[in-house]
Order: sequence, then structure tokens, then C-alpha cells
Amino acid sequence: MPVSTEYVARETASNLWRNRLMTIAAVLTVAVSLSLVGAALLLKQGAARAEAEWQRGTQVMVWMTAKATPNEVSAVGRQLSVLSYVDQPCVFRGHAYDFQEAKKLVGVVYTESGVTPAETPTSWRCTPVHPADSTSVIKKFEGQAGVLSVTAPLSQIRTEQRVINVLQWVFLLVALVLLVSAAVLILNTIRMAIFARRREVSVMKLVGATNWFIRLPFMSEGMVQGLLGSGVAAGVVYALHVVLDRIGSSTSGSVLAQMRMTGWEVFVTDVVVVVIGVLIGTGGSAIAISRFLDV
Amino acid sequence: MIRFQNVTKTYKNGTVALRDASLEIEKGEFVFLVGASGSGKTTLIRLLLREELPDSGRIWEAGRDIVHLPKWRVPYLRRNIGCVFQDFRLLPTKTVFENVAFALEVIGRPKHVATNQVPQVLELVGLTKKRDNLPHELSGGEQQRVAVARAFVNRPLILLADEPTGNLDPATSQGIMQLLDRINRTGTTVVVATHDEVLVNWMRRRVVELDHGAVVRDQARGVYGIESSPAATAVAAAVAAVTTPGPPSGRVPAVAGGRHRARGQEHG
Repeated sequence: MPVSTEYVARETASNLWRNRLMTIAAVLTVAVSLSLVGAALLLKQGAARAEAEWQRGTQVMVWMTAKATPNEVSAVGRQLSVLSYVDQPCVFRGHAYDFQEAKKLVGVVYTESGVTPAETPTSWRCTPVHPADSTSVIKKFEGQAGVLSVTAPLSQIRTEQRVINVLQWVFLLVALVLLVSAAVLILNTIRMAIFARRREVSVMKLVGATNWFIRLPFMSEGMVQGLLGSGVAAGVVYALHVVLDRIGSSTSGSVLAQMRMTGWEVFVTDVVVVVIGVLIGTGGSAIAISRFLDV
Repeated sequence: MIRFQNVTKTYKNGTVALRDASLEIEKGEFVFLVGASGSGKTTLIRLLLREELPDSGRIWEAGRDIVHLPKWRVPYLRRNIGCVFQDFRLLPTKTVFENVAFALEVIGRPKHVATNQVPQVLELVGLTKKRDNLPHELSGGEQQRVAVARAFVNRPLILLADEPTGNLDPATSQGIMQLLDRINRTGTTVVVATHDEVLVNWMRRRVVELDHGAVVRDQARGVYGIESSPAATAVAAAVAAVTTPGPPSGRVPAVAGGRHRARGQEHG
């Protein structure tokens, strides 16, 4: 027998209003729990964003010997220009540029050693799409004619990646633990609300109501509570983003500045929070009511 | 209409509620189930509602074997059975009209059916003027009348009543019995589990006595016990003097101590 939507809507509205204290308790439980879950998810994404920021600009350099012929230099350039895993185009730096750079990095020792610009190696500089692709560039060009060496800040990349990975796992784990505790807390609140109305359920069973007829208004109530609670949580997550973003924008170079996220990322987190809230509210009610239906 | 065949029911704690009980109730009958507390009356009602399943034996209701009825069919079985309990079991937040209409809504009847049928059945139970009252605004007797109206609005084949007068005063109890009698006259089979000796003796309907889960007596136009208490006999005699044979229609004359409860386990 189909259950009329009018019946479900009417029962949902009147039950929510009639048990408003329980409704408020359930909404607040969902709101607080999912705010924490949302915040953890936000920080996890922030960490991922920071990783991307830190690794942006990581360069792999193909050093040509000072005596490399123009043909050898252009051959390397041609091969680099067709690689899909490096951002195009790669930049060529000549003797003079590299000499000045070395002077800047190493200091007077470099010039005092008697090295002339003509003896300074030239270089091709590329930005890999993913920092890890530096290894492929190194493998491809090392030992090639005219190539002195291929370098990339590999150990630095690996350390950064490790730190960020750990940080992301920690935030994900915190989010999961919070999610489980939120689910238990919400389920318990809904269960208490239904327990208070078990008599009503028994009357409905008595007059021949099917399980779905009884279950649907309760699920609908849970869904509304989940929606309201997660709506509040989504607001809290957005507010947290705004606060972190403001601090980040005023402190360039800081971790928070590198964690700054786009509006889209925050929107996705909010959607995830709302979906979780609705699922927990609806599913929680369905689970909580089931034990009272077995009569 | 109802058939119990060698039904035994033992609860998890070891209590034997029904012991090889066999019973047959025809369509349109009015039957009292009597017996001491724990004799198995309520278990019998619960089995008829499929709230419990027997350990052995078979039960037929309206020609259907309800022991082997799939779980999902149980609500549909209950739509053919009206139920009245000692504690009324009304929905406290719904008005009299809504409580009665709810039984129709639950089975998917359109609104206009409730609009037509609920006033009729409220008239039958004498609560037309209280249709917009909430249960807590009614007396016990009125609440039980709402419960009877709810049980009957769907025109069930069977109406079960478990201690329907247990919370009511004698005069009100009599009114409820008269109501059940009127419902019985429409062809509905009525089964009443009760301790009310006076009412049973007054009604003079079929009496099935249970003792420790066994059917020990099945008497047409019977009385509560083979040896009813003197007061109950006096009341029954007084009632017989003022009422015509057949279904009661008058009031039970006021007699001191005129309502007597279970007489223990005289037939143990």
C-alpha cells in the first residue's frame, strides 16, 4: 500500500512541533558533531592545498656541459618539449645567467676559483606536472650526450610529501572518529525520541499499519533534523573557512596562507557535511524505529 | 471464524500460557473468556492478533491459517480484527475524530470514507458531541467508547476485547458491554476476556473458562463460574428480573458490592 505524501508531511510537521525539545536536542547534536567533522575535513583539504602550494615551482634542471654543442643543447630541448609530464615550455638558461646565479648562490668563492662564464654549464629548467615526475626526467637525460647532470630537490619533495601525507591522514582519522561518535550520538538521541513514542507505534501496529507506514514519518523527521543540524554545521564550516582565510591572507608565507582554499572546495565540504547529516538522520531513524516494529 | 487446534504456548521464562487448547468460535458469536489472572486469556488474544506465535498447534482466523502467515501479511490480518484494551490505547495528541479516522487512514482509505464513516460510528458510541475533544478531556468510559469506535469503524470480522471494563465503574462497564452487544448484532464476532463476574452473569452469553492455559469449561449462555459468588448471583437475578431474555438493554440495578472481581482459582 503506498503511503501518501500528505500523511507523511502532516505527521512529520506535527511530530517535530509536538516533540520540539527532542527536535532541538537532535538538531543541536547533529550541528555540533558535524561541525567538528566538517572542520576536520576542511583542515584535511587545507593540508592537501598546502602540499600543492609547497611543491609549486619545484624545478628539475638538466645541466649541459660547458662544452656541449648547440646541437646537443637543442636535442635535449626538443626531447623536453614533447614530454607530457612537464609544464611546457621549459626554459633554457645560458652561460651568463647561470654564472650570475652561481655567483649569487655560492658567493665570491665561485668567482675567486677562476671559473669564467664560458666555463659555467648551461641548463634547461622544467617544472614537472607532479614533483614526483622529476625522477623520470632524471632517468631520461642522465648520461645523454652533452648532459652534465640532472638535478631536482628530491629529498625535500619526499620530506614534504611525507609530512603532508601524515597530516592528511591525521585529519581524515579525526574526521572519521568524529563521524562515528556523531553517528552514535545522533542515533541515541533519535532512539530516545522514538522510545518516548513507542506506545504510539504499538497503537499503529494494532490498527494494521504496515511497517513502512509507521517508519516513513519517523524517517522523514530524522531527515529534517539531519538537514537542519547539518545546515548549521555547514554554516560553521563556512565561518571557519572565512576566519582562516582572513588570517591566511594577512600572513603571507605562513602555513595558513598556504592552506587557503577556494570557495568551491568549501562548498564541496559543506555538501558532504549536509549529505552525511541527512543520511545519518534518515538512516538513524530507520534503525532506531526498527526494534519497535517487531511486534 | 476462529479455530484453535491443540495450541500450546510457553514463554521464554518457562511459563506455560496455553496448554493443548482447542476452541472453535462461529461467525457472529459473542464469547466471554474467563479465568484467573495468568490463566491464558491475554495470551489467547495476543495469538489471535499474531503478536505471539504458538509453540505447537494451529490457529485459523476467517479461514486463514495465521500461524504460517508471512510477517508482512500480519498488518493486513489485523485490519480484519478490531481491538479494545483495558488501557484504551488512544493516541493522546489526536482528537476523538482523528483517533477513529486514523484506523481508516492507516489502511489507505480515502479521506471521504472517514468523513462519512467516522460520524456514524461516533453516533453509535454516543460521542458525536465530543468529536473534537482530546482523549485526556474525556472520562474513562468515553475513552473506551472511542477505542470501541476505532476498533469498529473498519467493520472488522472479529472484535477482540481484553479486559475492556477493567478500568471502569459498573454503570460505565455495562454501557461498554451494551455497545459490544450492539456491534455483535451487526454480525461481528466478539471475544471478550474479562474478570467481570457481574457482567458475564448478566449477559448470559457463551463462556469459555481457561485455567492454567487449558480450556476447562465451554458453556452456552453461561455464567462466570459454576458457583458464582452470592452477590453476583443476586445482581444477575435482579438484572434478569428487569431485562428481557437476549441481549441486555437496561441498566444494572444498583446493588451494594454489585461488581465483583475474579474469584481466584476455584476451578484450578
